[in-house]
Amino acid sequence: MQEEQEFINQLLNPKTQNIAFQRLLSEYQRPLYNHIRLIVLNHDDADDVLQNCFIKIFQHLNNFKGESKLFSWMYRIATNEALTFLKQKAKANHITSEALQNKTIENLEADVFFDGNEMQLKLQKAIAQLPEKQQLVFKMKYFEELKYEEISEILGTSVGGLKASYHLAVKKIEAFVANN
Amino acid sequence: MKTFKLDNEPKIEAGFAVPDAYFDNFSSKLLAQLPQEETKVISLFQKRKKVLMMIAAVLVMALMIPVFYKSDPMNAKVDPVALENYITYQSSVNQYDLLNNLDAEDLEKINTSIVLEDESIEEHFSTNANLENLILE
Repeated sequence: MQEEQEFINQLLNPKTQNIAFQRLLSEYQRPLYNHIRLIVLNHDDADDVLQNCFIKIFQHLNNFKGESKLFSWMYRIATNEALTFLKQKAKANHITSEALQNKTIENLEADVFFDGNEMQLKLQKAIAQLPEKQQLVFKMKYFEELKYEEISEILGTSVGGLKASYHLAVKKIEAFVANN
Repeated sequence: MKTFKLDNEPKIEAGFAVPDAYFDNFSSKLLAQLPQEETKVISLFQKRKKVLMMIAAVLVMALMIPVFYKSDPMNAKVDPVALENYITYQSSVNQYDLLNNLDAEDLEKINTSIVLEDESIEEHFSTNANLENLILE
């Protein structure tokens, strides 16, 4: 905790900011990319969102109050950026967010940056049937293997609520996979 | 009906791939995009604005000088005809008040010797209609 506070001070100090931000980038670019990619599905979109996300983190470092962990603050920014991106993309294409997601999953088979097998593709299709919140909880718990406490800090939902959401999501996914 | 239990299956990965060296290049690509501290640009007009304002203020003050002197009550010259009319018709000042306010210099100025011939005095009195009033006064 003290180490994190020291790191935050380095990020806020103009003299040490650049070096500290490079460290932040190297530590978090992979996990944040994975988090964003799981939401937007497509690599090019994930790349755009990740860039915007880090630019926003850099611009708002001064506003970081330290009330939450740096990790959860950045994940919150990444989640919001990814969801906003999808909404804007759907709006630009004059379709709903659900329709956009289904279309993206249909394109996954032809995507050079998707090397999943039939089961993996089916799992993506099953996830797409879930409400947005359940999708987020399932992806963060199952794929990213985050703790409920961490997800709770990122999404601002109680641990009990998250457990219920995850349980429901698993049931729906299992039913979808069994029936398709 | 088939049953599928997620927990019973081996962990299913998401299946997403990333282009080669994507993360190696990402840092440098992003750092180049970060907003740099911008050099403050002061337009030429803004820089000169202060000087222009000062010149304008000096000019305004210079233009005010004649107005100031014209409006100075100490230097105001009163039209003698207007003053005479005022004293005659508007003021309650009578000739005794005026006499009391005259100083020695004024009296000296008034006290000029007028050479009058008897004939001209006679002629004046003969033509002056208010002769009786003057005698009475």
